[in-house]
Amino acid sequence: MENRKKLSLPKSVLDMKFMKKTKDRLEKELDNIEGHHDLYADVITDEMRQASGNFISESSFIYCADLIEGRLSFNGVNPEIERLMELDKVEVNNGDMQKDVSDEVLAKKMGQFQRKRRSSPSKSANVKRKKY
Amino acid sequence: MNLSIGDVVLPGDRCDEISKIAVKSKVLIGPGLRRESDNVYITKPGILKKRNPNTFWVDSYQKRYIPSRGENIIGTVIQKAGDIFRVDVGGSCPAALSYLSFEGATKKNRPEVQIGDVIYAKMLVASKDMEPELVCVDSHGKKGRLGVLTDGFVFKSSLSLIRKILNPSCPLIDSLKKEWPFEIAAGMNGRIWIKANSMRETIAVGNAILAAEYLSDEDIKSMCNNVASILAGHLS
Repeated sequence: MENRKKLSLPKSVLDMKFMKKTKDRLEKELDNIEGHHDLYADVITDEMRQASGNFISESSFIYCADLIEGRLSFNGVNPEIERLMELDKVEVNNGDMQKDVSDEVLAKKMGQFQRKRRSSPSKSANVKRKKY
Repeated sequence: MNLSIGDVVLPGDRCDEISKIAVKSKVLIGPGLRRESDNVYITKPGILKKRNPNTFWVDSYQKRYIPSRGENIIGTVIQKAGDIFRVDVGGSCPAALSYLSFEGATKKNRPEVQIGDVIYAKMLVASKDMEPELVCVDSHGKKGRLGVLTDGFVFKSSLSLIRKILNPSCPLIDSLKKEWPFEIAAGMNGRIWIKANSMRETIAVGNAILAAEYLSDEDIKSMCNNVASILAGHLS
C-alpha cells in the first residue's frame, strides 16, 4: 500500500504563491475521495471490505465435475460428429500441446550441445593457462 | 457437525473445511454452495463432492433447469421474433437465439430453423436478471457439435441423470455403443435427444438411460446386456 501512495509535494512548497493552482487541485481531489466514501457508505458493506479473493463461485456443474461432451455418435450414424470425436480423442492422447520436435530428436540435439559446451570451456582454459 | 467429502448435506449446513483451505489457496465453489463472508454454507440437499485442485460442489437431485453460462442444452424453438428465435430450454423464461449465431449465417442468408425444431446450443449469457442467450457456433464461428437436431426423439430426465451418464466413469454409454448404432445429444437442462436406425432401438436406448438413474455401475452393465438381448429377441 505504501508504494502505491501518490508522491505529494511538501507543505512548505505548496504554500508558495506560484503553487496555488496545484494546491487547490490537490485539495479538490482529496475532497472527492472523501466524498466517495460518504456517498457509497450504504452500498459498500463490511462484507465487501473483508472479501478475500480466494473464493471463486461457479454456477455450473460443467466446470466442477469432469464431464464428457454431450453430443456423441456411434457406429456411423452421424459421421460428422464421429470425426469430431476422433479429433478430441487424438488431442487428449497427445496432451494439450502438439510437439514440433519429438522427444528423441530433442534429447539427441541437447546431447550434442552439452558435449560441445563441455569441450569448449576446457580449450579456453588451456589457452588461459598458456598465457600465464 | 463436521462435514466431510461424500457426506449427505442439507441446506444451512456450514462447511468449515472449505473455509480453512480458502485461507491458504484459491477454492472453486460450485452449485449448492454459497459464501457468506468467511463461511461456506450449503444451499442444496445432496452429496458434497470434491475434485482436485480445490473444487467443491453439491451433487443434488434437481429437475428444474437454471441456466448457467457455458452449458450445452437442448431446446425447442417456440417463436420467431424478428431477428431472434425464442427457445424453450426448461428454465424460468425462454432463451434468445440470434439467427446470426449459426455457422455461415449472414443477414441475407438466414439459417433454416422452423418453429418446433429441436436445437443443441450453448448458453452464452445466463444471468439472474436477464433473458438467457444461446449460440450455435463456437468462438471460431464453427458449428462443431451444435445446431439443429433433425429426426430423433427427445425426452426429459432429471439434471442429475444427465451428469451421471456424462461422467467418464459411467459405463452406460460405453455398454450401449457396443450393441447397436445410435446418436445421442444430452443437454445439461435435462433433455436427451436420441436417434437410432429403428424405433425399437430408439426406445431401447431411451429406456436404458432412464433406468440407469438409480443403478450402480455393475447393474448398469447387466441392464444394458438385458436390453440388448430383449431387443435381439424381438428382431429375430
